Amino acid sequence: MVFQVTIQGTLADVWQEITRTDAPIPAFFNNQMHVRELKAGSKLAMRTTSGKYTGVVGKILECDEPHRFVHTFRFTNFDDPECIVAYDLKEVDGGVEFTLTVTEAPEGTKTAKQMKQGGTMIVNTLKSVLETGRPSFGTRLLFVLFKVLEPISPKKCRSENWPIDGE
Amino acid sequence: MSPEAPTPEDLVFQAIAHPARRQMMDLVKASPGMTVQGVASHFSFSRIATMKHLARLEAADLLVSKKEGRSRKLYFNPMPIQGIYDRWTSEDSSFWAGRMADMQQRVEQRAQVRNKKNA
Repeated sequence: MVFQVTIQGTLADVWQEITRTDAPIPAFFNNQMHVRELKAGSKLAMRTTSGKYTGVVGKILECDEPHRFVHTFRFTNFDDPECIVAYDLKEVDGGVEFTLTVTEAPEGTKTAKQMKQGGTMIVNTLKSVLETGRPSFGTRLLFVLFKVLEPISPKKCRSENWPIDGE
Repeated sequence: MSPEAPTPEDLVFQAIAHPARRQMMDLVKASPGMTVQGVASHFSFSRIATMKHLARLEAADLLVSKKEGRSRKLYFNPMPIQGIYDRWTSEDSSFWAGRMADMQQRVEQRAQVRNKKNA
């Protein structure tokens, strides 16, 4: 699966937006990335803003600032094998060509289905945040819904079950 | 950009206007990573003509090509279509239009099954 857009912004801004750990990342469904060190081999976790629940875990495979960030990706609420997510950034006329590539998500799995639906939203939200300063109205409504539904997340998604390095 | 220069949206509409190019998009969407040769094998026209059509699709960002080893692999990129969808679809209409499209698909599938049985 490939999702590509051109974002009117700088390489540094796009890179910062997809790798930041100091605040929730709207493009990643408003989850906050937790990682001890941004380098290959580090474990990462995408957690709710409260930190109580972890939706996605993975391991960084490549970190070539500001051009390429690759990590394994596993939804904590599914028993599917992990897939690989790559973010490629390239400077082009008018901004940054941003490409999200998802590989090794077997067809028919819940992960493949989620990534097909989610990929468009990740790329669109990233573009919207960098070009307008915030996600679309519909996406912001969705974030409110996520927050309301957080307490009924499955127990297996609790963050203590998915520690990162050093926890 | 001069007024005559096509906008990214113009490139998308021009690209999808041709039935062969729409078929190429279907093929690549169904088989991500398909090679140029793989696409060309589905058409009676020349490989050069296929490459010209693929170039139009790539210029519109509807296809993304990646060089892997010696071959160039093609992937469908849904983002330009999503952009067109977003332009004319509000939150409300996307909900109702989606439901209506689902209903249409279900009814037509049932009719097809019935026609096959009666045939």
